Amino acid sequence: MTILLLWLLATVDSTFIGYRDAAGRNALIDKRAYFRRAMLRGAVAGQIAVAIVGLAAVGMLATTPQPVRLFAAFEHAATRMLIVYVPYALILTITFFIRAIPSVDIRSITSVLVFGPFTLIRPVVVLAGAIWGLLAAPTPRVGLLLGLIVSLMLGMEYVLDRLRARGFLV
Amino acid sequence: MVDDRYSPEISDAIVSFDPETLQRAPVVKSDVLRQFSDYRNRTAVRVVERIPERDGVLDPAAVDRLLVTSHCEMQRMSEEFQHGRRVGELLRPVIKALHEGGVANPIRIVDIGCGTGFIVRWLAANAYFDDDVEVIGVDFNKALIDEARRLASLEKLNCTFLVANAFRLDHPAAIYLSTGILHHFRGQGLGELLRRHDRKETHAFVHFDFHSSPMAPFGSWLFHAGRMHEPLTKDDGILSAVGAHKSRYLLQAERTAAPDFVSAIYGTRLWRLPIPRVFHSLVGIRPAYHPAFVRNMGNRIASLGKIE
Repeated sequence: MTILLLWLLATVDSTFIGYRDAAGRNALIDKRAYFRRAMLRGAVAGQIAVAIVGLAAVGMLATTPQPVRLFAAFEHAATRMLIVYVPYALILTITFFIRAIPSVDIRSITSVLVFGPFTLIRPVVVLAGAIWGLLAAPTPRVGLLLGLIVSLMLGMEYVLDRLRARGFLV
Repeated sequence: MVDDRYSPEISDAIVSFDPETLQRAPVVKSDVLRQFSDYRNRTAVRVVERIPERDGVLDPAAVDRLLVTSHCEMQRMSEEFQHGRRVGELLRPVIKALHEGGVANPIRIVDIGCGTGFIVRWLAANAYFDDDVEVIGVDFNKALIDEARRLASLEKLNCTFLVANAFRLDHPAAIYLSTGILHHFRGQGLGELLRRHDRKETHAFVHFDFHSSPMAPFGSWLFHAGRMHEPLTKDDGILSAVGAHKSRYLLQAERTAAPDFVSAIYGTRLWRLPIPRVFHSLVGIRPAYHPAFVRNMGNRIASLGKIE
């Protein structure tokens, strides 16, 4: 359940990374198709990141003399990460529902009070979740895996930006 | 337009047009760099340093590319703050008042300094007005107007964009409109701009700009730092909020420059609470249409907050 929830959060997060990377780069009025493509691209990139983390975890489990203990450590760390990530995701989800209210003022407020600040603090939240998880199971392998997760979560936007700069993304 | 207290915005400093002939004037790179160095605006210095030059003059094509890119990014702010709808909601009571007052159709609205024409295109895409209203986007910069036309054509929008001086059109505006323009004009320059509204064909104007408040620079930084990709857009966005005119100052400047309009500032606070809005708007209307405008606005005046 914990792993499934983390996968879901990673997918949603990467979907919005796709959105953020594409935002401000297309001046059409109707951008629904453009953003759909961008979000799909983010989601696919997220699956690649999840696969990399999965392979790394399997590799670590295969090479440790105590795979059961390591798996328990991974799970313990993951549960602690959720304590940080789930509230963050919940606030954003609720805000999306509020934004659906067709009011110029309400929509503007969601931008000012939630989407702006929460986008800005995302790197801090990513790091805080990983550190909180590591504190639950402070071993080198858990640290290595969490380091990989943080790098992928924070690096994905940069990678998409570089791909766009080189003309691979439209 | 120059006020020594505020650093100019990059997009103002890297391009220059003669307002009479609309001819582009060369911009000497070292002059711009010195100007920003004097203001200790390091971001601006870095942005300008990266712009290619020819014989010491900023390459116009490179400048245009940068401006088109940054306008595209700035559109994001208009989209997030629902600016198209915001403009439409304020224009409707004005237009209705003019109709009720017998102003001949079509009522021509001219968007001054429209850039890539977001407002004009948004109003067209959402069929916000009937055929008795004509909205035209005007800008000095041909590259921005070309981009506005290209975007409108891609979405098959029936829009008109002109490279022109908004106050020298063959058919002047019944309503002048702008977004984010007023803070570029300071002192006498602001007075001159507002004075130009006072012509017999013009019945009203609606100018949106950043609302000056103690929180505005921080809010603007928060918005731009988290969302914008281009350093130019980030820097200009913050400087816009820093240099925004205070509501009462704008109102006083307008009343001095164009006293034949009844003017007020709308959008000073949110829902009757002492919470400042991101944008406020300077609205002026001929006295003959003012009662109808106020009546058409109805309860919205209270929720917008008004200074008069």
